[in-house]
Amino acid sequence: MAAGLASKWSLVGRSLLGGLNNNLSSLLGTSNGITCSHSLSLQQRTFIQMRTVLKVVDNSGAKKVMCIQALKGKKGARLGDTIIASVKEAHPNGKVKKGKVVYGVVVRAAMQRGRCDGSEVKFDDNAVVLVDKQGQPIGTRVFGPVPHELRKKKHVKILTLAGHIA
Amino acid sequence: MRIEKCWFCSSTIYPGHGIQFVRNDAKIFRFCRSKCHKNFKMKRNPRKVKWTKAYRRLHGKDMTQDSTFEFERKRNRPERYDRNVTENTLKAIKTIDKVRSRREAKHIERRKKGKKAQQMREAVKELEQSISLVKAPSVLKEDPSLTLPKIKVKVSQPLAENQPMEE
Repeated sequence: MAAGLASKWSLVGRSLLGGLNNNLSSLLGTSNGITCSHSLSLQQRTFIQMRTVLKVVDNSGAKKVMCIQALKGKKGARLGDTIIASVKEAHPNGKVKKGKVVYGVVVRAAMQRGRCDGSEVKFDDNAVVLVDKQGQPIGTRVFGPVPHELRKKKHVKILTLAGHIA
Repeated sequence: MRIEKCWFCSSTIYPGHGIQFVRNDAKIFRFCRSKCHKNFKMKRNPRKVKWTKAYRRLHGKDMTQDSTFEFERKRNRPERYDRNVTENTLKAIKTIDKVRSRREAKHIERRKKGKKAQQMREAVKELEQSISLVKAPSVLKEDPSLTLPKIKVKVSQPLAENQPMEE
């Protein structure tokens, strides 16, 4: 367990260092006048675990939540899983307020998820739709693309609200 | 099941291969292998990367317009299963493929052959028209074989020396 955690932290640390190095190199690049706008970002994307900040893509009022527990999954949550999260940032007049503990369904994950035909999907960011304990979404609209893995997980309501199904 | 095309290199992606990246504006990028995926992450433009089909088509290295490409258009209406239709389609795919690859090979061969024949014709024409700039027309009238440098000329030395310069 500790070894697992240690390896996880080392991975996180390495990616953080990698990010820092990239930032430093890009800063140096711009200071030298070289207009290279990209940095090699060969990041290892991992699970959604405790302290992961996710974007909220419905109109429930919250903007950013931090995962405090991934239900199901020793290493963390993936695309289509539910998590328990704490609201860190919210719209001033919304259904949920800052500091509230909510359930959420991960609709977009940067870590690739294997599909049953053998291919893999990955999204641009980590996004979540807030739900209640029964699994019904709190908001009435969902923004951005959602995967059709949600159908298998019985989150049909979210699929119907979605604008685009990946 | 659908056979897709790689966004970067335009090769076919068979089921079970590759990674699909969905951007937040719901645009889906499919990649056949990690080489294409990594190039995409580096923000390289496939039209500038020499080994991609996009570059080759853009720079005229490969065939762009042909009637065989019409058969491969993406169709979104599912067809009702009919055994005869399926059989005929499979046979047609084979023949169309053969025809297309033959035409593509011809295109590349034509491109590689170069412009030797055309240059030769142009050279002959130029020689015929403007040899008067080099040699006096009275000299040419004496011996018409002087006009083409390839032909061995039985003339005095100074004239023979002039001929290599015309090329």
